[in-house]
Amino acid sequence: MVHTFLKEVLKNLFSKPATIQYPREETQVEPDFRGRHYADLTKCIGCSLCAIECPSKVITMKPIPKELAAAVPKANRRLVFPSIRYFGCIFCYRCVTICPMNAYVVTNEYRLASDKPLFSDELSLETLRKAPGGRDEH
Amino acid sequence: MAELPKELAPLREVAKKVYEMKVGRLVVELEPGDLLRAVGSLLRSLGPESLYLSTLVATDLPQQGVIRLDYHLFVIPLRRIVVLRTSVPRGGPRIASLLKLLPGALSAECEVYDLLGVVFEGNPYLRRGFFVPVELAEKGVYPLRKDARV
Amino acid sequence: MGRVRIVEVPMALEIPVGPQHPALHEPLLIKLYVEGEEVVKAEVNTGYNHRGIEKLCERNTFYRDIFICGRVCGICNTVHANCYVRALEALLGMDPPPRAKYLRVLAMELERVHSHMLINAVMAEVLGYETLFMSIMRDREAVMKAKEILTGGRVLADYMMVGGVRRDIDEVKRDRLLKILDRVEERVRYYRRVFEDDPTIAKRLMGVGILTPRDIVSHSLIGPVARGSGVKIDVRFEDPYDAYPEIEPLRMVTRDEGDSWARMMVRWDETLVSIEVSRYVLEHLPQGNAVPDERRLPRRFPPGEAFTRAEAPRGELTYYVMSDGKPSPYRVKIRTPSFNNIINGAFAFVGAYIADAPVILVSFDPCISCMERVTVVDPESGAKKRLSLRELAVQGVM
Repeated sequence: MVHTFLKEVLKNLFSKPATIQYPREETQVEPDFRGRHYADLTKCIGCSLCAIECPSKVITMKPIPKELAAAVPKANRRLVFPSIRYFGCIFCYRCVTICPMNAYVVTNEYRLASDKPLFSDELSLETLRKAPGGRDEH
Repeated sequence: MAELPKELAPLREVAKKVYEMKVGRLVVELEPGDLLRAVGSLLRSLGPESLYLSTLVATDLPQQGVIRLDYHLFVIPLRRIVVLRTSVPRGGPRIASLLKLLPGALSAECEVYDLLGVVFEGNPYLRRGFFVPVELAEKGVYPLRKDARV
Repeated sequence: MGRVRIVEVPMALEIPVGPQHPALHEPLLIKLYVEGEEVVKAEVNTGYNHRGIEKLCERNTFYRDIFICGRVCGICNTVHANCYVRALEALLGMDPPPRAKYLRVLAMELERVHSHMLINAVMAEVLGYETLFMSIMRDREAVMKAKEILTGGRVLADYMMVGGVRRDIDEVKRDRLLKILDRVEERVRYYRRVFEDDPTIAKRLMGVGILTPRDIVSHSLIGPVARGSGVKIDVRFEDPYDAYPEIEPLRMVTRDEGDSWARMMVRWDETLVSIEVSRYVLEHLPQGNAVPDERRLPRRFPPGEAFTRAEAPRGELTYYVMSDGKPSPYRVKIRTPSFNNIINGAFAFVGAYIADAPVILVSFDPCISCMERVTVVDPESGAKKRLSLRELAVQGVM
C-alpha cells in the first residue's frame, strides 16, 4: 500500500536532514580508523621493509639530516628514514604491520585534501626533534 | 590416479590422468579433441541442468610450449567442481568451442581469445578489443602471454 | 501487367544504453535492437574499464597482491581478498585459527548486507523512486559504520591476511556492533515490506525479465539471479569455507517466480539471513588469537596451484592461483560473478520493453569494475588516465 511509505516520507519531511553538514559539523570517525601515519624515527632502524612491501610503492628512504642524527637508534646504520607520499598511499597499513620495531605512529586523521603534494617527512623528523637528546628539548 | 565417481563415468574413456587439485577439485586431463565429446556426454547422461561452466583458466606455459586450458565445471548433482584440463600448442592454439552445448561459455571464451589468443572454433563472437585496449589489439599483442611486451 | 507488392520490413532500431547513461553506474555498452518498444536482440560491449589486474598480479609479490586483489571491486573487496588469501593458505597448507575464521565471516556478511542494500536502493532509483533510494542509503550508513568499527575502513576493509585477520575486536566493539545490527535489522524488515506491498514497485518489477532454470544453468548465471529462479546454488553450502559450516542460522534463500521482483526479494531475504549470521558470530566468537604476525609469514611460496571459490554478494567468485616457487605468483585468474551474469545475460533483454532494460540490468546486480578490473590512476598527475597495458607493465606499479 502506498501509505506504508508515505508515512515515512512525511516523517522525514519534518525532521533534521540526515546529511552531516561537514565542515560545520564534524564527522564521527572511529579512533582506530586508518588515517595518516608516519614513522617514529626514535625507533626506526632503516631496514626499508616498509618501502619494499608497500603495494603502491610510495615509500622512499631518505637520508636523515646530520644535525638530528643524535636521537636515532644505533641500529639505523645507513641513517635513512621512510618518507610516505600520501597522495599515492592507499592506507592499507602494510608498512605499519610489517615493521619489526613497531615504529609507525597511527592516527585517524582523514582530512588530507591538499593542493600541494603531502609527505610524511616533517612529521617523522619532528619525532627526532622532540626526542630527549635530540635538537629541541621540548 | 584418483577414482572417478560413477556420475562422471562418461569421462572414463577420454581421461588420460585423474588427480586432485587444492582444495578438493577433481582434475581430469584429456586431449583437446576430446573436450566437446566429454562435455556432451556428461550433459546427456546427467541432464541439461546438471552442470555449468564456472571458470575457464588459461595459463601460458612457454617452457612446455603449450597454453594450458582448465575448464572448471560445477556439477550440481555431485556438488563439486570437476576440472577438465587440456593443453593446446602455443604455435597454433585452436580448440573446439563449447558454445552450442553451454551458451555460458561465451564470456570465458571471448576473454581467453582476447587476452591469450586461443581460437575457439565455432564461436562467432570472438573479437579482439573485447577487453584489451584497441591500441594493443591492433598490434596483435596478447597481453597475458609471458612474452608479451605490454 | 504485374502488380507490385510492397512488403514493409520494419527496421530494427539500435539503441545504445551506455557507456555514459543515467541508469548505469559504470561504463558498459548494451546495444539494444528494438522494434517499436520491444527488444529483439541485445549485445553487450565491455572493455571501457579494463585494468589488467591479472598481469599486474604476476609482477608483484603474493602479499602485495592481497591488497591489489582487494581493490578489484569496492563493494565486494573483503570477499575478493578472502578468496585470494584462502588460495594462498591452501598453497601453504595453513589453517587459520577459529576466531579468525569467525571474524572473516563477520566482515563478509556485513559486506553482503551493505551491498544488497545498495543494489536495492539503486533499483529504486532506476525506477524513479528517489525517496526510497535516499532512505535506504541513509540506513546503509549504519552498516558502513559497523565496517569501520570492525576493520578500520568504511569501504575498503584491508582486513584479510594469510593466517587470519589484521585486527581483533574487544567487548566494547562487540556491543556496539550488536546495537547497530539491531537497528539495521528493523529498517531492513521495513524496506522489505515496502518492496512487497508498494504498487509502483510491483508494476515495474513483477513479470519482468523472467528466466527459467534451464536458461540459467546453461548460461552459467550465478548468485541471487539463479536463486531467484529456484536454482539452488550457493558456494557457502557447496564448498563451506571459513566458519560457515558451524553457523546455525545460515540458510539458502530461493524463490520460484524468476522475475526481477523475485531477484530483489532474494536479496532482501539474504540480507536478513546475513544479519542473523553476524549476530550469531558476535555472540559465539571463540577465544584465541586471530591476528597472525605478518613479519613471520614466508616470503616464498611452494610451487603448486589452488582454486578457491567464495560467495560474493553478486554470486560465485573464483580465484585460481599458481605458484612456481618464486615470491611472485605465476598466474592469478579472477572470475568475478558479474563477468558471467552480465556478458552471458544479454539474452534476458530480448522480448522486454525498452523501459524494462535498466530494471533487468539492475536486477542482475552489475558490478562493472568487478567485471573488467580497470582504471589506472596516474600517480604523478593525480589524474585518471587510461594507461595502456604497456605503461602499466613497464612501470610495474598500480
